[in-house]
Amino acid sequence: MSDKQDQRLLKEAEHAVLQQYTRRHFLKDGAMGFGALALGSLLGGCFGKSSASSQTLFDASNPLASRPPHFPGKAKSVIYIHMAGAPSQLELFSYKPELAKLDGLDCPQSLLEGKKFAFIRGVPKMLGPQAVFRQRGKSGLWLSDNLPHLATVADEIAMLNAVTTDQFNHAPAQLLMHTGSARLGRPSIGAWVTYGMGSENKNLPGFVVLTSGGNNPDAGKSVWGSGFLPSVYQGVQCRSEGDPVLFIKDPSGMDRDMRKASIDAINKVNQEQYSEYKDPEILSRISQYEMAYKMQISVPDVMNITDEPLYIHEMYGTQPGKTSFANNVLLARKLVEKGVRFVQLFDWGWDTHGDSAGNAVDIGLVNKCAKVDRPITALILDLKQRGLLDETLVIWGQEFGRTPMQENREGKKMPFKGRDHHSAAFNMWMAGGGIKGGTSYGETDEIGYNIVSGKTEAYDIQATILNQLGFDHEKLTYESQGRNFRLTDLSGKVITEILA
Amino acid sequence: MVILSIDITGFIGRFHPVLVHLPVGILLLAGIFIWLAKNERFESLRSAISISLFLGMLSAIASCVTGFLLSKTDSYEQTLLFKHQWFAIATAIISLLIYYLHLKNRETKWVAALMVLFVMITGHLGGSITHGSDFLTKAFSSSDAGSVNKPIPNVQEAVAYSAIIKPMLEAKCIACHGPNKQKGKLRLDEPTFISKGGEDGAVVIAGKAAESGMIKRILLPKENKDHMPPIEKPQLSKQDLELLQWWITTGAGYDQKVKYLPQTDQIKAILKSLASGKTDEMAAISFFPEQTVGKTPEAAVQQIRDRGVAIVPISQNSNYLSANFVAIESFTGKDLQLLEAVKKQLIWLKLGNIAVTDADLSTIGKLTNLRMLYLQKTKITDQGLVQISNLRELQYLNLGGTNVTAKGVEQLKGLKNLRQLYLFQTAIERDDLDKLRKLFSNTIIDTGGYEVPKLVSDTMVLKAPVNK
Repeated sequence: MSDKQDQRLLKEAEHAVLQQYTRRHFLKDGAMGFGALALGSLLGGCFGKSSASSQTLFDASNPLASRPPHFPGKAKSVIYIHMAGAPSQLELFSYKPELAKLDGLDCPQSLLEGKKFAFIRGVPKMLGPQAVFRQRGKSGLWLSDNLPHLATVADEIAMLNAVTTDQFNHAPAQLLMHTGSARLGRPSIGAWVTYGMGSENKNLPGFVVLTSGGNNPDAGKSVWGSGFLPSVYQGVQCRSEGDPVLFIKDPSGMDRDMRKASIDAINKVNQEQYSEYKDPEILSRISQYEMAYKMQISVPDVMNITDEPLYIHEMYGTQPGKTSFANNVLLARKLVEKGVRFVQLFDWGWDTHGDSAGNAVDIGLVNKCAKVDRPITALILDLKQRGLLDETLVIWGQEFGRTPMQENREGKKMPFKGRDHHSAAFNMWMAGGGIKGGTSYGETDEIGYNIVSGKTEAYDIQATILNQLGFDHEKLTYESQGRNFRLTDLSGKVITEILA
Repeated sequence: MVILSIDITGFIGRFHPVLVHLPVGILLLAGIFIWLAKNERFESLRSAISISLFLGMLSAIASCVTGFLLSKTDSYEQTLLFKHQWFAIATAIISLLIYYLHLKNRETKWVAALMVLFVMITGHLGGSITHGSDFLTKAFSSSDAGSVNKPIPNVQEAVAYSAIIKPMLEAKCIACHGPNKQKGKLRLDEPTFISKGGEDGAVVIAGKAAESGMIKRILLPKENKDHMPPIEKPQLSKQDLELLQWWITTGAGYDQKVKYLPQTDQIKAILKSLASGKTDEMAAISFFPEQTVGKTPEAAVQQIRDRGVAIVPISQNSNYLSANFVAIESFTGKDLQLLEAVKKQLIWLKLGNIAVTDADLSTIGKLTNLRMLYLQKTKITDQGLVQISNLRELQYLNLGGTNVTAKGVEQLKGLKNLRQLYLFQTAIERDDLDKLRKLFSNTIIDTGGYEVPKLVSDTMVLKAPVNK
């Protein structure tokens, strides 16, 4: 029966193609074809080399096949946790006792001259740290009481104290962090990694995205997009509540065999199309159909956290069946165990301007911290006891930091204590994946306003992530619009100071 | 108009290393021709003597001139330079003389022999200047090569400078900043010279590592032309740099013993590694071998890949393989037998969550190059473990979530390279752990069971104060 179906579908498709194929096409193809042929052989001598050097790793017939990196990497997979909205480093990671002394004073003009802020206007007041800091672990890393659990694993963490960006709005800043460009159109780091290494598990996508906090990040899905890379490398967004992937169940009235038969038929048609047009995107599409079918079985299994033992749920603070950051973190561990290369977590709701209690650095931020502190700590410890921490790079990221001044939107006093977007200096940290725990890199001035040493840009972080996976960030390239592009574009230096 | 200021003499001088090879070759050849032409069989060579002597003479003079100019641009060891210079001039004069004699049809064979001797002496002296006077003899004293990593048994009792710093400088700096050559007018072979510094001033400022010229230059990016050692020369290791900074910070003294100098934890650890003769890098785990291995037949790899195993080289230029069975369908012991075809290359093997049994471990026991082996959540038991006790290269072993006990694990005590052993959720009794830790003194044993304690703050939700 399925053969008959195939035949019919095939005929239909052929018919559709023929309908579009007019005399004009024929003439155009003919002329262009000969012309291009001639041009090709003419220019071949000139550009032969350039096309050879821009070799691609993309194998259209099996785009997600596991591939070796440039050199043996310490990390095999990445869990990148991005706190969308940008939490205040001054209440979490950046201990600035001098700032407390300035609390409530007018911000000196010298800090404001020539500076642009998202909301601050006129002369804001300085805002002292709204958290208690302590030195933790053997390394003596300063962490605030807002993250009491994380403090217990301080010696696993490498703190980057002097991260900086040139974007002060969420969407472009997030794009810069994840795609290396503040504008749309570049592939995200997860897409680059999947392009470079493929996936160890042919039944699961190589790059999975999980979001929590009630919203997607401001930059939207482009922040895990594939840009000019083949679309098979874009992040697959999964949900921790309901169906993990939308429409993953068979439609009612259609059984699994029928589903398989129809996918096979569609793929056959696509194969025909490919042999005619040679568009690699068609092959991508075929493999995606196949992957989707395989995912129907494998994804519900890996995305199901109910079969995890009770002590794991207690450790992570997970509640099966709900959308929560904790659930996503546990899923991230499960995915990495299953061979997924890159798990990207976004948690929304860290934009603490002080416009409401939920956005106050002494109220909402504290509540937000309580929701992520336990799961992140549990993740580090759980990876460790499973012998996976050394090969899993865990990253705490954010798009920028927050000002040492209290926000005064429209020049008015805000109802709660909050801070504006601050691009000049903020913190991020990494753990596992060949990172040297208990280190810190870079320093900022006494109030955390500017960088003093160890300047770290998005490109440096990206270069470091690729390095840990075994890639030279200058050599992982893809040709688009006539030139080779790379994630770090024209910049980027591996932060060797934090490597084990 | 742009006026280019070129150090023209220095520029010409730099041709010396190229030119010197000409008189060496041509004059030697001329000497050989002169002697051979005495023999009837080589009579025809006679006609070539004149031209080779002429060219040799010209190149000898050119070499002398460029050499003289070069000697003015940089600092070289004076006695060697003096000898080289005068032997070179003598050689040039002899070549002139012999050319004259040859034109006059006089007997030249004894002068030719003298010339060959002088060419060789001059060449050797020149070589000693550039490569160091011990260059030739180094091959005989190979035991010296490893002197940097020679263990310092009682490191705390040793003198910091002579035991740690001096060997480091000798290995990495002295070739250009020593008795033979003094680039930048700097010598680092004796305390007095180190304190004196070079043409850019002091290189070591006691107590201030960050301000010391030496450290500043070492820390420059490698591409920077002021970076030391130059990019093409052997670099200082991270550990060398830490030690050097520590020595300068603690006063850059030349006769203090290590134990009297303040030490951070990091320095203590490095010093400890010096005592054992293992550098930091050597003590760290390397999950891949230094030596290379032949390529596997692609068919064997493809056969494994077809079973759904992700098997790939560990990197693009390596033939070593890693295999991950995570996506295999309907696993049987036969799948593991396929790996025997790649046993030389296979160094990482992931079998977590696969129904591997004790019987399968006998197959794994044949994969003797394995460095990392993941057997967590498999069906293996104590009985099977003995079959992998011969995997001598093994550095990482994960037995988490299996039914192994301390008895079973003890059978692996012969694995001297084992660095990490994961035993989370096994049947090992808490009381047996200490015994295991003693048996595996070089291994980090992780039994997991970490907890994240419950805190009041975990569930406390802050709200806005009511009076707001």
